[in-house]
Amino acid sequence: MRWMPTCREATELASREMDERLSLLDRLGLKMHLAICRNCRRFTVQLEEMRRLFRIETAADDDTPGLDPEARRRIESELHSKLDA
Amino acid sequence: MTQLDARIWLAEHGDYLFRVARRQLHSDEEAEDAVQETLLAALAARERYAGDSSPRTWLTGILKHKIVDLIRRNVREVEIPRDAEGEEAVDALFKRDGHWAEPLRPWGNPQTEAELSQLRRVLDDCADRLKPVMAQVFSLREVAGMETEEICKELGITPTNCWVLLHRARLFLRECLELNGFSGGALS
Repeated sequence: MRWMPTCREATELASREMDERLSLLDRLGLKMHLAICRNCRRFTVQLEEMRRLFRIETAADDDTPGLDPEARRRIESELHSKLDA
Repeated sequence: MTQLDARIWLAEHGDYLFRVARRQLHSDEEAEDAVQETLLAALAARERYAGDSSPRTWLTGILKHKIVDLIRRNVREVEIPRDAEGEEAVDALFKRDGHWAEPLRPWGNPQTEAELSQLRRVLDDCADRLKPVMAQVFSLREVAGMETEEICKELGITPTNCWVLLHRARLFLRECLELNGFSGGALS
Protein backbone atom coordinates (compact mmCIF):
# COMPACT_ATOMS: atom_id res chain seq x y z
CA MET A 1 0.00 0.00 0.00
CA ARG A 2 1.26 3.43 -0.94
CA TRP A 3 0.53 5.81 1.86
CA MET A 4 2.89 8.68 1.15
CA PRO A 5 1.28 11.14 -1.26
CA THR A 6 3.27 12.56 -4.19
CA CYS A 7 3.67 16.33 -4.55
CA ARG A 8 0.79 16.42 -6.97
CA GLU A 9 -1.43 14.52 -4.54
CA ALA A 10 -0.20 16.63 -1.66
CA THR A 11 -1.30 19.80 -3.46
CA GLU A 12 -4.75 18.26 -3.90
CA LEU A 13 -4.92 17.48 -0.19
CA ALA A 14 -3.59 20.89 0.80
CA SER A 15 -6.15 22.57 -1.42
CA ARG A 16 -8.98 20.49 0.01
CA GLU A 17 -7.85 21.20 3.52
CA MET A 18 -8.55 24.88 2.80
CA ASP A 19 -12.20 23.96 2.35
CA GLU A 20 -13.00 21.15 4.74
CA ARG A 21 -11.66 18.76 7.33
CA LEU A 22 -9.65 15.91 5.81
CA SER A 23 -9.93 12.28 6.90
CA LEU A 24 -7.36 11.16 9.46
CA LEU A 25 -5.47 9.17 6.83
CA ASP A 26 -5.32 12.09 4.42
CA ARG A 27 -4.25 14.43 7.19
CA LEU A 28 -1.42 12.11 8.20
CA GLY A 29 -0.31 11.59 4.61
CA LEU A 30 -0.22 15.31 3.98
CA LYS A 31 1.63 15.97 7.22
CA MET A 32 4.28 13.39 6.43
CA HIS A 33 4.73 14.70 2.94
CA LEU A 34 5.09 18.29 4.15
CA ALA A 35 7.68 17.18 6.71
CA ILE A 36 10.02 16.14 3.94
CA CYS A 37 9.06 18.44 1.05
CA ARG A 38 10.04 22.10 0.99
CA ASN A 39 8.24 22.85 -2.27
CA CYS A 40 4.92 21.67 -0.91
CA ARG A 41 5.47 23.54 2.34
CA ARG A 42 5.91 26.68 0.25
CA PHE A 43 2.80 25.80 -1.69
CA THR A 44 0.67 25.62 1.46
CA VAL A 45 2.03 28.95 2.70
CA GLN A 46 1.22 30.50 -0.67
CA LEU A 47 -2.32 29.13 -0.59
CA GLU A 48 -2.91 30.90 2.71
CA GLU A 49 -1.34 34.05 1.35
CA MET A 50 -3.61 34.06 -1.71
CA ARG A 51 -6.67 33.52 0.46
CA ARG A 52 -5.67 36.44 2.66
CA LEU A 53 -5.18 38.72 -0.33
CA PHE A 54 -8.51 37.83 -1.86
CA ARG A 55 -10.48 38.22 1.33
CA ILE A 56 -8.91 41.36 2.73
CA GLU A 57 -10.28 43.61 0.11
CA THR A 58 -13.62 42.00 -0.65
CA ALA A 59 -14.80 45.49 0.10
CA ALA A 60 -12.81 46.43 -3.00
CA ASP A 61 -10.18 49.12 -2.84
CA ASP A 62 -10.74 52.55 -4.24
CA ASP A 63 -8.04 52.51 -6.90
CA THR A 64 -9.87 49.98 -9.04
CA PRO A 65 -12.19 51.59 -11.59
CA GLY A 66 -15.75 52.30 -10.51
CA LEU A 67 -18.92 52.30 -12.54
CA ASP A 68 -18.48 53.49 -16.12
CA PRO A 69 -20.39 56.79 -16.75
CA GLU A 70 -22.20 55.22 -19.70
CA ALA A 71 -23.36 52.28 -17.57
CA ARG A 72 -24.36 54.64 -14.79
CA ARG A 73 -26.62 56.55 -17.16
CA ARG A 74 -28.11 53.31 -18.44
CA ILE A 75 -28.88 52.07 -14.94
CA GLU A 76 -30.33 55.42 -13.96
CA SER A 77 -32.73 55.45 -16.90
CA GLU A 78 -33.65 51.83 -16.16
CA LEU A 79 -34.52 52.82 -12.59
CA HIS A 80 -36.57 55.73 -13.88
CA SER A 81 -38.58 53.64 -16.28
CA LYS A 82 -39.39 51.22 -13.45
CA LEU A 83 -40.46 54.08 -11.22
CA ASP A 84 -42.68 55.65 -13.83
CA ALA A 85 -44.36 52.37 -14.65
CA MET B 1 -38.73 58.24 -0.74
CA THR B 2 -38.75 56.12 -3.96
CA GLN B 3 -37.24 58.01 -6.87
CA LEU B 4 -34.95 60.03 -4.70
CA ASP B 5 -33.78 56.95 -2.79
CA ALA B 6 -32.91 55.01 -5.92
CA ARG B 7 -30.95 57.98 -7.23
CA ILE B 8 -29.07 58.35 -4.00
CA TRP B 9 -28.26 54.64 -3.90
CA LEU B 10 -26.78 54.78 -7.36
CA ALA B 11 -24.86 57.96 -6.64
CA GLU B 12 -23.50 56.93 -3.27
CA HIS B 13 -23.07 53.17 -3.58
CA GLY B 14 -22.88 52.55 -7.34
CA ASP B 15 -19.08 52.51 -7.51
CA TYR B 16 -18.79 50.39 -4.39
CA LEU B 17 -21.31 47.81 -5.60
CA PHE B 18 -19.62 47.70 -8.99
CA ARG B 19 -16.19 47.05 -7.48
CA VAL B 20 -17.49 44.27 -5.27
CA ALA B 21 -19.30 42.68 -8.23
CA ARG B 22 -16.38 43.12 -10.61
CA ARG B 23 -14.03 41.15 -8.39
CA GLN B 24 -16.40 38.21 -8.46
CA LEU B 25 -17.72 38.31 -11.99
CA HIS B 26 -14.63 39.00 -14.08
CA SER B 27 -16.33 41.09 -16.73
CA ASP B 28 -17.46 44.72 -16.64
CA GLU B 29 -20.75 43.96 -18.38
CA GLU B 30 -21.78 41.30 -15.89
CA ALA B 31 -20.81 43.49 -12.97
CA GLU B 32 -22.89 46.36 -14.40
CA ASP B 33 -25.83 43.99 -14.82
CA ALA B 34 -25.47 42.87 -11.23
CA VAL B 35 -25.51 46.47 -9.99
CA GLN B 36 -28.58 47.26 -12.07
CA GLU B 37 -30.45 44.17 -10.92
CA THR B 38 -29.52 44.92 -7.34
CA LEU B 39 -30.90 48.45 -7.48
CA LEU B 40 -34.07 47.32 -9.23
CA ALA B 41 -34.60 44.59 -6.64
CA ALA B 42 -33.92 47.08 -3.87
CA LEU B 43 -36.46 49.43 -5.36
CA ALA B 44 -39.06 46.68 -5.55
CA ALA B 45 -38.38 45.64 -1.97
CA ARG B 46 -37.94 49.10 -0.45
CA GLU B 47 -40.93 48.71 1.86
CA ARG B 48 -39.23 45.75 3.46
CA TYR B 49 -36.06 47.67 4.18
CA ALA B 50 -36.49 48.41 7.85
CA GLY B 51 -33.48 50.65 8.12
CA ASP B 52 -31.83 48.61 10.85
CA SER B 53 -28.74 48.12 8.70
CA SER B 54 -27.03 50.80 6.64
CA PRO B 55 -28.25 51.11 3.04
CA ARG B 56 -24.84 49.92 1.86
CA THR B 57 -25.01 46.74 3.94
CA TRP B 58 -28.55 46.12 2.78
CA LEU B 59 -27.65 46.67 -0.89
CA THR B 60 -24.53 44.51 -0.61
CA GLY B 61 -26.67 41.67 0.76
CA ILE B 62 -28.95 41.89 -2.28
CA LEU B 63 -25.92 42.12 -4.57
CA LYS B 64 -24.52 38.84 -3.24
CA HIS B 65 -27.69 37.02 -4.27
CA LYS B 66 -27.59 38.63 -7.70
CA ILE B 67 -23.97 37.60 -8.16
CA VAL B 68 -24.74 34.00 -7.26
CA ASP B 69 -27.70 34.08 -9.69
CA LEU B 70 -25.48 35.32 -12.51
CA ILE B 71 -22.82 32.74 -11.77
CA ARG B 72 -25.38 29.99 -11.62
CA ARG B 73 -26.65 30.98 -15.06
CA ASN B 74 -23.09 30.84 -16.39
CA VAL B 75 -22.13 27.44 -15.10
CA ARG B 76 -25.15 25.60 -16.37
CA GLU B 77 -24.32 22.97 -18.98
CA VAL B 78 -20.63 22.90 -18.28
CA GLU B 79 -19.06 19.49 -17.98
CA ILE B 80 -16.20 19.94 -15.62
CA PRO B 81 -14.59 16.51 -15.23
CA ARG B 82 -14.18 16.08 -18.97
CA ASP B 83 -12.26 19.29 -19.23
CA ALA B 84 -9.11 17.62 -20.53
CA GLU B 85 -7.43 20.93 -21.21
CA GLY B 86 -7.47 21.81 -17.54
CA GLU B 87 -6.03 18.44 -16.68
CA GLU B 88 -3.24 18.89 -19.20
CA ALA B 89 -2.37 22.24 -17.74
CA VAL B 90 -1.99 20.59 -14.35
CA ASP B 91 0.12 17.82 -15.92
CA ALA B 92 2.52 20.48 -17.14
CA LEU B 93 3.23 21.60 -13.58
CA PHE B 94 4.32 18.15 -12.39
CA LYS B 95 6.71 15.43 -13.53
CA ARG B 96 5.30 12.04 -14.34
CA ASP B 97 6.28 10.69 -10.95
CA GLY B 98 4.19 13.42 -9.28
CA HIS B 99 7.04 15.70 -8.25
CA TRP B 100 6.94 19.42 -9.03
CA ALA B 101 8.41 20.10 -12.47
CA GLU B 102 10.02 23.32 -11.19
CA PRO B 103 11.03 24.18 -7.64
CA LEU B 104 8.83 26.75 -5.91
CA ARG B 105 10.41 29.99 -4.83
CA PRO B 106 9.33 31.57 -1.58
CA TRP B 107 7.20 34.70 -1.80
CA GLY B 108 8.13 37.94 -0.19
CA ASN B 109 5.95 39.75 2.23
CA PRO B 110 4.40 42.86 0.70
CA GLN B 111 4.49 45.60 3.30
CA THR B 112 3.50 48.95 1.93
CA GLU B 113 0.01 49.82 0.76
CA ALA B 114 1.40 50.45 -2.72
CA GLU B 115 2.95 46.96 -2.89
CA LEU B 116 -0.27 45.39 -1.70
CA SER B 117 -2.37 47.25 -4.16
CA GLN B 118 -0.03 46.32 -7.03
CA LEU B 119 -0.17 42.71 -5.97
CA ARG B 120 -3.95 42.78 -5.84
CA ARG B 121 -4.06 44.05 -9.37
CA VAL B 122 -1.83 41.21 -10.60
CA LEU B 123 -3.92 38.75 -8.63
CA ASP B 124 -7.14 40.06 -10.16
CA ASP B 125 -5.63 39.93 -13.66
CA CYS B 126 -4.62 36.34 -13.04
CA ALA B 127 -8.09 35.51 -11.72
CA ASP B 128 -9.60 37.00 -14.88
CA ARG B 129 -7.54 34.53 -16.91
CA LEU B 130 -8.99 31.47 -15.21
CA LYS B 131 -11.54 29.49 -17.17
CA PRO B 132 -15.03 30.82 -16.45
CA VAL B 133 -16.36 27.97 -14.30
CA MET B 134 -13.14 27.67 -12.39
CA ALA B 135 -13.06 31.41 -11.81
CA GLN B 136 -16.61 31.39 -10.53
CA VAL B 137 -16.20 28.53 -8.11
CA PHE B 138 -13.03 30.18 -6.91
CA SER B 139 -14.74 33.56 -6.48
CA LEU B 140 -17.61 32.12 -4.51
CA ARG B 141 -15.17 30.35 -2.25
CA GLU B 142 -12.42 32.90 -1.75
CA VAL B 143 -14.03 36.24 -2.42
CA ALA B 144 -17.56 35.64 -1.19
CA GLY B 145 -16.33 33.20 1.47
CA MET B 146 -19.04 30.60 0.82
CA GLU B 147 -18.63 27.02 2.08
CA THR B 148 -17.98 24.40 -0.63
CA GLU B 149 -21.14 22.53 0.32
CA GLU B 150 -23.17 25.67 -0.31
CA ILE B 151 -21.36 26.27 -3.62
CA CYS B 152 -22.08 22.73 -4.83
CA LYS B 153 -25.72 23.16 -4.00
CA GLU B 154 -25.97 26.57 -5.62
CA LEU B 155 -24.23 25.48 -8.81
CA GLY B 156 -25.53 21.95 -8.99
CA ILE B 157 -22.10 20.33 -9.17
CA THR B 158 -20.68 17.46 -7.12
CA PRO B 159 -18.26 18.07 -4.23
CA THR B 160 -15.56 16.23 -6.18
CA ASN B 161 -15.94 18.63 -9.09
CA CYS B 162 -15.77 21.50 -6.68
CA TRP B 163 -12.47 20.29 -5.19
CA VAL B 164 -10.99 19.59 -8.62
CA LEU B 165 -11.89 23.10 -9.78
CA LEU B 166 -10.57 24.78 -6.65
CA HIS B 167 -7.34 22.77 -6.79
CA ARG B 168 -6.75 23.74 -10.41
CA ALA B 169 -7.68 27.37 -9.81
CA ARG B 170 -5.22 27.61 -6.94
CA LEU B 171 -2.42 25.92 -8.91
CA PHE B 172 -2.96 28.24 -11.87
CA LEU B 173 -3.19 31.39 -9.81
CA ARG B 174 0.00 30.53 -7.99
CA GLU B 175 1.74 29.86 -11.28
CA CYS B 176 0.37 33.05 -12.82
CA LEU B 177 1.55 35.15 -9.88
CA GLU B 178 5.02 33.70 -10.15
CA LEU B 179 5.16 34.20 -13.92
CA ASN B 180 4.12 37.81 -13.39
CA GLY B 181 7.04 38.53 -11.22
CA PHE B 182 5.75 37.91 -7.74
CA SER B 183 8.64 36.15 -6.04
CA GLY B 184 11.64 36.64 -3.89
CA GLY B 185 10.61 39.81 -2.08
CA ALA B 186 7.88 41.60 -3.95
CA LEU B 187 6.78 42.27 -7.48
CA SER B 188 9.80 42.91 -9.61
